[in-house]
Amino acid sequence: MEKVLELKGITKRFPGLVANDNISFDALRGEVHALVGENGAGKSTLMKIITGLYQPDEGEMFLKGEKVKINGPRDAIAKGIGMVHQHFMLINRFNVVQNIILGYENSPGGVIDFDKAKKKVEELCELYDFKLDLNAQVGDLSVGHQQRVEILKVLYRGAEILILDEPTAVLTPQEVKELFVNLRKLKQEGKTILFISHKLDEVLEISDRITVLRRGKVIGTVKASETSKKQLAEMMVGRPVLFRLEKPIVKTGDVILEVRNLKVKGSIDRHQLNNLSLSIRAGEIYGIAGVEGNGQRELVEAIMGLLPYDGGEILIKGKSNKGLDTRAIRETGVGYIPEDRHQRGLVLPMTVWENMVLGLERKPEYSRWWKLFRDKIKSLTSKKVEEFDIRLGSIELAIRNLSGGNQQKVILARELSYEPDLIIAAQPVRGLDIGAIEFVHKKLIEARNNGKAVLLISADLEEVLSLSDRVGIMYNGEIVKEFVPGELELEEIGQYMLGAHKEVGVG
Amino acid sequence: MGDIMEMLASALRMTIPVLITALGAIFSERSGVTNIGLEGMMMTGAFWGAYGALHYGPVGGFLLAIAMGMLVALIHAVVTVTYRVDQIVSGVAINILAYGLARFFSIALFGMATTSPSVEGLPKIDIPVLKNISVLKPIATDISPIIILGILLVFVTYWVLEKTVFGLRLKAVGENPLAADTLGVKVIPYRYIGVIISGAFAGLAGAYLSIEHTHMYVEGMTQGKGFIALAAMIFGNWMPYGSFWASFLFGFAEAISMRVVQSKVVPYQFIKMIPYVLTLLVLAGVVRKAQPPASVGIPYSREGD
Amino acid sequence: MNKRFKIILLQLLTPIVAILFAVVLSSVLIVAIGKSPIEVYQTMIEFSLGRADSVGAILFNATPLIFSGLAVALSFKVGLFNIGVEGQYFIGAFFAAFVGFTFTGLPAFIHLPLAILAAMVGGVLWAFVPIYLKVRRGVHEVISTIMLNYIAYSLIHYLIADLFMDRNQKVPEGLGSPLIRTPHFAESALMPKLHGFLSFFGIDLPNYVYLNWFFVIGLLLAVGMYYLLWHTPFGYEIRAVGSNPKASEAAGISPNKIYFKGFLLSGAIAGLIGLSHLLSFYGYMDLDFPKNFGFNGIAVALMGNNNPFGIVLAALLFGFLNRGAEGVQTFMGVPMETIVIMQGIIILSVVVAANILGRYVKRLEKKEA
Repeated sequence: MEKVLELKGITKRFPGLVANDNISFDALRGEVHALVGENGAGKSTLMKIITGLYQPDEGEMFLKGEKVKINGPRDAIAKGIGMVHQHFMLINRFNVVQNIILGYENSPGGVIDFDKAKKKVEELCELYDFKLDLNAQVGDLSVGHQQRVEILKVLYRGAEILILDEPTAVLTPQEVKELFVNLRKLKQEGKTILFISHKLDEVLEISDRITVLRRGKVIGTVKASETSKKQLAEMMVGRPVLFRLEKPIVKTGDVILEVRNLKVKGSIDRHQLNNLSLSIRAGEIYGIAGVEGNGQRELVEAIMGLLPYDGGEILIKGKSNKGLDTRAIRETGVGYIPEDRHQRGLVLPMTVWENMVLGLERKPEYSRWWKLFRDKIKSLTSKKVEEFDIRLGSIELAIRNLSGGNQQKVILARELSYEPDLIIAAQPVRGLDIGAIEFVHKKLIEARNNGKAVLLISADLEEVLSLSDRVGIMYNGEIVKEFVPGELELEEIGQYMLGAHKEVGVG
Repeated sequence: MGDIMEMLASALRMTIPVLITALGAIFSERSGVTNIGLEGMMMTGAFWGAYGALHYGPVGGFLLAIAMGMLVALIHAVVTVTYRVDQIVSGVAINILAYGLARFFSIALFGMATTSPSVEGLPKIDIPVLKNISVLKPIATDISPIIILGILLVFVTYWVLEKTVFGLRLKAVGENPLAADTLGVKVIPYRYIGVIISGAFAGLAGAYLSIEHTHMYVEGMTQGKGFIALAAMIFGNWMPYGSFWASFLFGFAEAISMRVVQSKVVPYQFIKMIPYVLTLLVLAGVVRKAQPPASVGIPYSREGD
Repeated sequence: MNKRFKIILLQLLTPIVAILFAVVLSSVLIVAIGKSPIEVYQTMIEFSLGRADSVGAILFNATPLIFSGLAVALSFKVGLFNIGVEGQYFIGAFFAAFVGFTFTGLPAFIHLPLAILAAMVGGVLWAFVPIYLKVRRGVHEVISTIMLNYIAYSLIHYLIADLFMDRNQKVPEGLGSPLIRTPHFAESALMPKLHGFLSFFGIDLPNYVYLNWFFVIGLLLAVGMYYLLWHTPFGYEIRAVGSNPKASEAAGISPNKIYFKGFLLSGAIAGLIGLSHLLSFYGYMDLDFPKNFGFNGIAVALMGNNNPFGIVLAALLFGFLNRGAEGVQTFMGVPMETIVIMQGIIILSVVVAANILGRYVKRLEKKEA
């Protein structure tokens, strides 16, 4: 088969980092070619090079055998390379046709012939078996249908090569199936698909060949029919997966957090919770595994009093948190590491020392109503900076100037400073470098060893399995399975995460 | 009946300046830029319209007013789109600036701070066919061509927004600039054009007040109409037809308020509040849900800072 | 450390550059009407700073702007935009006026504080509507306050012209109709002038200068606000919510509560804006009661970088410009409006300069970290 796209020796360097190191691979006509690798393996840099957002420092790119230089997304699409973004680039108030033709209206005289455009989109839908209500406002469509609009957008522009960036991250299993049907049809019609993912099951199911990246390098390209999940996982992480962190055996104590039959009604921007139950004891890390967007955020926010719930109860050290505001809940002894540092965790323009007491400013150690004890807070901050090894120029600096790892350490220092009995850690190491990740993990285990209860939510299954004493798998707003790491095979876990299995009455 | 038609005719005259400005505001807001400098732009239009009419005739006055409105709008665009300064702050400054400039030039050019000499308006016209129906006489005969133009602009605005490439892209930029940008729609120029159109419309509306309505420039003659236009646009849900009905409602309220000054049944100050109170109710969702463009008021930059 | 110094220097430089830019642009206008800018500015400075009465007038001019600058800045700090300061001070002024002309025979130490309190209540009431709509119904405060400003204008017009108009005025024969204004306030509601106090220091202000103790109250308020923002937990919460409401919420600070308290406090300060004029210079409220202090407060707040002391300086600058404008109008025939134009240009150039500077400072800080 014809090589539609070929990369030879692509290298891209950033200060202090080689994001792509001598990368070569090719994709054929009518092929689904998966690119897999952990976060930071260089997948997204590579995509940006292919779509022209970055220019490589070295290396060459060929389209149908011809050497090309891509000067940006518009140039890429003109040359037949279309990108389907993970975060949809859609205009909710526009209908499907308007979204698809935007920027590519093909209207001499500046007047749009919507009927003609619609007909063209209809033809595309027919050709590729896309079912879609073209008159609907995109904001009213399901996520799966919105993704179809994104795909149609690049097809409408005549793309031969489609790049799909983590396309299944936001989909339900049913929607994933439908997507795969669509992708197979596209393949049949001779399109080439670059499928970026770190979900190995899906990759194995849909791809013809798989290229594995690790730390900016191509580790190898394998045929999907000739490999296994285990082999891929080892290629990805460079060692046999599922190593264990040093964790002494700790005798667990009282139940600290108890969630019983928690119910939250779903809406556009919130996933429902369905009779969710779990309990965590002192001296225990309870990990939540599951595909992101299955209600994890809602669970955390309900515990923290940030989201009112419609049924069930949440008991913290035996007391219901109903009717308590977030401050009161924290004061019962809950530390909270929010999933999004910049949005939820820090006030970026404020100084490091001010961030160190965010939400704690009313504590008698730090203030009376008429006075903030600035000196006290500053000396506390200096102490914490040392204790947590936070690298900074001065505690008077705005915290936005710190690196992600150091920012996260400030949050950790703050949340652990008042010796909470329960720690809610949502995606605590997202976007951090290896050193910072280890530090955060160490601190969480330390807390557990000291008899704290920890609720860990992470999209990274490996992290959950290695840190947790018990794991609950969350799917569609429920804990569908609870287990102790080691009890279940990865495959089985994956099936629970995708809703293939369901056990009733856990938790 | 004749009385009602007189009333309608008067309401229509009050509607036009608000309507035209509101239509302009649609272009600016739908592109993602809030323009509370409309008042200042109208004031600018009123002043330069009178000046232009005095020296070059009414058509010259209108053209000059439109040009000056665009110029003031250009300042707003530079400050808010290029320098990404808060759009409200810039709007407030534009209003202060426009007020000062109008007074300054009034003294420099007319020798009086607050009024101009009287100026000639455009020739009045009759609407063919309608003028022969006797009931419609008050609204079909002897009317300013700008009234006709204003009503035509409603349809033009609708057509541009809904049927043209320009309209589609302008709205896209106001809803989701990042998405538009990734599809190759250049955000900055569309926002500039949106703002400048709003300046042109506000200038035209201001000139209507001085050239057509009172035949002279009087300081403060816009009387908050720029803000009422903003209210009309919100009340009209950022749509041309909706803005027309809202403007008409407000124009009607004003026409009534002028009648009841003598009657004393309801203090006319309360009737003057109608547009503002209605807008508050709309915004509060008492009347219905307001749907502003998703990205209005948010400056755009690729780096996202 | 060197860079820190550079950053502070640049921050001080921003308003100066903006003023210079405004001076240059205004010069163009002055040249256009055939005057010499240098002479105009010279006259301005000599007239405003060379005479005791001018200095008094500058401080008197600056007084309402200090209050309105502080009111606007406080709302900025909490992350909201109180354009309604304009309407709030109108309502506040009327409340004070009402207390002023309704009560008689009260001792001054009760009557005057009561009038001041009433003004604050008025401001709070008028600020309550938009903040309620914002927190409960998600209505953007800018649009609602714009509407409320106009409602306030009409309402006050009605109250002065219809409901509370002074109908016992003695109109000299043949001099037409009575003035549209409220009754005069009782003497006990008026704020004493600063003249007596200043004469201790050998400064004698003529009687036609109305500089009064509200100026001192304004200065104290600036100090108080500085303390509030940077030295109290409430101020800390205001700044935290103003910069990142979502993070504040997650940490246990309820943004809605802070919005409410902060905005109402801003309204209370706004209520005081007109009092320096109302309770000394006027002694009654009429239809010519000065408008636009609220809008000018936005300029003052921006110019002063939302810092209370910066606001005092900015208010003094604007007071100086206004006084100077009177001078150049009287002595050189240059329209006062040049100064209004200058104010507009100053706002625009301050915000643009601050924006450019802000990006530069971020880069510098990044390097330091």
